Amino acid sequence: MMRMRSWALLAAMLFTASPASPADLVSGLSTDLIQITSNFTGADIVLFGAIEPSEELGPTGDQNLVVVIRGPALDMTVRRKSRVFGIWVNSEQVAFTGLPGYYFLASTRPLDDIASVPTQERFRLGTANLQYATSAAIDPQEADAFRAAAIRDRKREGLYWESPTGIEFLSRTLFRARIPVPASVPPGLYNAEVYLFQGGTVVSAQSSPLFIDKTGFERRVYDFAYQRSLAYGIAAVLMAIVLGWIASVAFRQRT
Amino acid sequence: MELYLPVAEMSVNWAVILVMGAAVGFLSGLFGVGGGFLMTPLLVFYGIPPGIAVATQASHITASSLSGALAQWRRQALDIKMGAILLAGGLTGSVLGVYVFQLLQEQGQIELAVNGSYVVLLGSIGGLMLNESIRAIRAARSGNSRPPVKAHQHSWIHGLPLKMRFRRSRLYISIIPPIILGILVGMLTAIMGVGGGFIMIPAMIYLLKMPTNVVIGTSQFQILFVTAAATILHAATDQTVDIVLAFLLVAGGVVGVQMGVRVGSQMRGEQLRALLALFVILVALRLLFGLVRTPEDLYSIVAGTP
Repeated sequence: MMRMRSWALLAAMLFTASPASPADLVSGLSTDLIQITSNFTGADIVLFGAIEPSEELGPTGDQNLVVVIRGPALDMTVRRKSRVFGIWVNSEQVAFTGLPGYYFLASTRPLDDIASVPTQERFRLGTANLQYATSAAIDPQEADAFRAAAIRDRKREGLYWESPTGIEFLSRTLFRARIPVPASVPPGLYNAEVYLFQGGTVVSAQSSPLFIDKTGFERRVYDFAYQRSLAYGIAAVLMAIVLGWIASVAFRQRT
Repeated sequence: MELYLPVAEMSVNWAVILVMGAAVGFLSGLFGVGGGFLMTPLLVFYGIPPGIAVATQASHITASSLSGALAQWRRQALDIKMGAILLAGGLTGSVLGVYVFQLLQEQGQIELAVNGSYVVLLGSIGGLMLNESIRAIRAARSGNSRPPVKAHQHSWIHGLPLKMRFRRSRLYISIIPPIILGILVGMLTAIMGVGGGFIMIPAMIYLLKMPTNVVIGTSQFQILFVTAAATILHAATDQTVDIVLAFLLVAGGVVGVQMGVRVGSQMRGEQLRALLALFVILVALRLLFGLVRTPEDLYSIVAGTP
């Protein structure tokens, strides 16, 4: 999938080089590293950029911008409940691989007004065009229902965002997009992409990495839990025993 | 006030968790129960994934049963030999339980299993307790005391082989019933995150005919080790123990327990039990409502693939 994306970007770069579209694009993130510490409650980052003005075309014309932030691909299982003897029970399940753990899209106007559906698909723009694989061969309509549920859930959690007017112009050429990152964001390597559309095609694109990681105590605890699970379990029990003992001694002496 | 839980990968209000630990600890000190049956639903209501809630709060029970068992041991109200036999069953049970837990998690039925067994267990225990305490209150009002439970009544249990002498309990019985009881409670600990005292204590009194004064200490002794084992097993097999969450629960819990014990010693037993019974039934009804109510979204999402 990574490779596919780099090909898309390369294609975009080639477009940029063509003399028919002289407009150019620069962009950057307010931070390229988000550290998850013990008081992490989410973060707000800003992507800002400018369209290099060209003589004949202003940003007003038919130029449009799309900003996409994509998190690392995560596996997930979607389950559907049905009623069995009056009780709601998980009955069917579909496992998805390849869906990003975080997806943010902002644009200057609704996607359908910017580019044709095949172009949206090619650049994987919008949650409707996310690439994924399912565990078992299932009816495509069924798969769609499960995929839609996964995206709905992610949006509720604040992990997927689609904001057709999320790009704000500060001047004729300067723009910015505010990107909300919730506390439940999965750590990993993120990629921020900015596409400049003109007349329905990508004329310029830029990509910058964003790294989200647990640091310090949080990272050590997490590594401890996953890499030395047995010792971690014993440590948890020892902690409980020491605290329980301290409390019982402390309260006994007071009486 | 927000604190990030590194294993649960979410942030919680630490003050709320601390108070939750203290409140459940207080109730468990007051009523002499482990409190796991309250803690797991509470954590799930708060938004902690059920798997993490079950595994993590087992350490909360370890801490509270430690102070309880220590106190009983000092008063010589602990039958170590019987406790060891129950424990042998309990450890086997928790290994089985962790395995069943993993299986259910893969099948996507862990929530149903946890909530469903809570409804059944809490409903029946709450009903029994309420019935018993109402009768006790009535008896106390009309002035006559209840007929004492007859000790050393012979039943089918005395016909089983592998007999052993338990000096402190003044018993000579087969070790098969305590082992089966231990296995059952060990499985409950691993699957539901409860200590199982609410099953253990009546079973010891009515089934094994142990003297009431050693029952609480012995059950706390066995719960201490079984919950410790369940914590370690969960940490090792499914990484569902969040030590930061555990620390908050335990820190609040151990203080709450001591306060509860203090208050409990000044209150009337029957009224206390009736109160607890009502509370338990309420929790069961709330969980049952969650199972039968049409969910807002029929689909649910969990991380990872089976």
